[in-house]
Amino acid sequence: MSAREAAASILVVDDEPAIRRALGTNLRAHGFSVDTASTAQEALERYERAHPDLIVLDLGLPDLDGAEVIRRVRAQGTTPIIVLSVRDAEPDKVAALDAGADDYVTKPFGADELLARVRAALRRLAGPNAGPEGVFVAGDLRVDPRRRAVTVRGTPVHLTPTEYELLKVFIRYPERVLTDRMLLEAVWGRDYSSESHYLHVYVARLRKKLRADDRSAGPIATEPGVGYRFRTDY
Amino acid sequence: MQRWPAAARYGGALAGVALVTAVIGQVPGGARIANVSMLYLAAVLFSALYLGRGPAVLAAFTSFLSFNWFFVEPVHRVTVADPADLVSLLLFLLTAVVTGQLAADQRARAQQAREREREALVLYDIVRLMAEQPLAEALHAVADRLRRELGLEGAAIEVDELAGAPLRTAAGGDRAQRLLEQPARAARFVIGGGHTPTDGRSATPGRWVRVMPPSQTGRRDVEGRLYVAALTRGERRRGQLLLLRPSSATAFSSSEDRLITASAGQLALAIEREELRRRATESEVLRRADDAKRTLLHAVSHDLRTPLSSIIAGATSLRQRDVEWSDREREEFLEGIEGEARRLDRIVGNLLSVSRIESGSLRPTKEWHDLGALVDDVVERERARGHPVRVTCPAALPALHIDYVEIDQALSNLIENAAGYAPAGTDVEVDVRSRTGAVEVRVSDRGPGVPADARDRVFEPFERADGGRRTGTGLGLTVAKRFVQAHGGDIRVEERDGGGATFVLTLPASE
Repeated sequence: MSAREAAASILVVDDEPAIRRALGTNLRAHGFSVDTASTAQEALERYERAHPDLIVLDLGLPDLDGAEVIRRVRAQGTTPIIVLSVRDAEPDKVAALDAGADDYVTKPFGADELLARVRAALRRLAGPNAGPEGVFVAGDLRVDPRRRAVTVRGTPVHLTPTEYELLKVFIRYPERVLTDRMLLEAVWGRDYSSESHYLHVYVARLRKKLRADDRSAGPIATEPGVGYRFRTDY
Repeated sequence: MQRWPAAARYGGALAGVALVTAVIGQVPGGARIANVSMLYLAAVLFSALYLGRGPAVLAAFTSFLSFNWFFVEPVHRVTVADPADLVSLLLFLLTAVVTGQLAADQRARAQQAREREREALVLYDIVRLMAEQPLAEALHAVADRLRRELGLEGAAIEVDELAGAPLRTAAGGDRAQRLLEQPARAARFVIGGGHTPTDGRSATPGRWVRVMPPSQTGRRDVEGRLYVAALTRGERRRGQLLLLRPSSATAFSSSEDRLITASAGQLALAIEREELRRRATESEVLRRADDAKRTLLHAVSHDLRTPLSSIIAGATSLRQRDVEWSDREREEFLEGIEGEARRLDRIVGNLLSVSRIESGSLRPTKEWHDLGALVDDVVERERARGHPVRVTCPAALPALHIDYVEIDQALSNLIENAAGYAPAGTDVEVDVRSRTGAVEVRVSDRGPGVPADARDRVFEPFERADGGRRTGTGLGLTVAKRFVQAHGGDIRVEERDGGGATFVLTLPASE
């Protein structure tokens, strides 16, 4: 992976301006697109608007405790969260991880360690079928979450943020039947769990974009009356 | 009645029988046996109820004899003519003795009940008095209560040791106080469990034994009788109870003995409880101090780590070899590192100030300074740090006798605190006002303000009104307040009209 061309998006949430600046500069230099927030309120707004691929979250925020931010993000989706905190006691770590955080890094931390953990979290995003590089490959399809790059038979495919969110959920649970409700909650949040027509529209678009040509079936299979299944052997 | 000498009581019984005999003698035509026996029985019952068991028996027999001598045919003879009269007489004797004994039992029980009630009341009083604080006053109240209850000349309680010191209290007049203090001239008695008697007799529990101090041997001119009861709990002696009576006093009754023994027990128990309570308080104080220290350490490490995180994140970024940093990026990291290192320095400076304040080694070096110039200095520096500040300051201010460095730091800390809370785009306002005998510097922001219940707390180390913000040092307000207080001034926080907080720094000014 060469730096400064990939585009996985990371939301950095910390009330310390110095940390926000240092992390922002560093992550951008390593090829991520970075958004920052200094309060929980701001973080949740950014999350809902931009659906970042990863959140780096400080627990001691001025308006809400970080653990509450984790719970609210988890109520809407599976976006990986790396906690960044000066709290180094075991109960704090347990509470954050149990609330839904994916990783916990104590301050002070080295830039290399944090980057490694960011890479690891993004690799897991590629699902169980990902190779050691963290790239999901199935049939004609290739998804690299770290670069936010999707290709079909080597041709780059342009996806809207929502389509990409949907694809991320599919590749995370390949070969599993996902109900409408599960998909709606994972991509749009709990408030939308009954808006199936949304889902059908987006699945139809995504299915079309992931097909190499009209003869190919594509990876998204419909399970009548239940939902969808993402196939890896099509 | 119990106190009457035996002779008086037996005399009383005889007098009663004589009175009855005289009354019957006055009745014209003599009396019938039934009535006579009833009247004598009344005399026996009177003796039993008011004079005791022995006098009742005496009354029964003398009644029997008088009855026989004066009223049974042949009169004035011991012999009895009619066998039926003999039966009546013997039956009378039996009835008189038995009812006399029953009545005497009744009386003894009533007496006992009264004594028990009195003991219980006094003991209850002692327990109640001992619950009062402080202990010295409680002990005095108990000594006085015992003195009055037992009709003593004086009473004293001596505690061998409580919280490292002996404790002594005495109730009574001057003479009693003197004798209780130096009891060499009083005959000394101890009750079981007290001192080992010197005359070889062993002290049986609940009995007083006379002790002869060597200095007193052979002396007749004793000034009082001193009764000493040891206060013991288990094996441990905690002190003694001293009771002083005039040398003419008779012995304590057995009820009083019991009362004294029980009181001594209660006193020992109360002293032990007090000692345990004091020990518990001591360990509680230690525990709290320990807690405070732990909280402080925790907060310090937390607050030191925050700028350290930024410094380490910046430094490790710069050392990364996989990225070619541009000059602008490099400058950004270095700026962050320097800024946070300076912040760390301020935290350490404030920590040192706090430790100087806590250890009491704060010695302001006061000189005459112009407050307006000081405010300008501080504001200039804060603006350079990127905090927008607006100042209102009258042209003429009285010169103040202050330590420039300390007041400078206090004001800087207030402005920095306000800047930390002021929303972006709003100024921190500094308003200097001259009052009679004082100068006020008001530092205001449009932040969330300080809730009323946190207005004292915010000046404690590492306390924050919102509990979460971390951009300050956690010590700024503490240091500011202590510095200003060392100048005879103070800092308080108020709600600002239209939202926000106003910190008011007041310094005394001599005209």
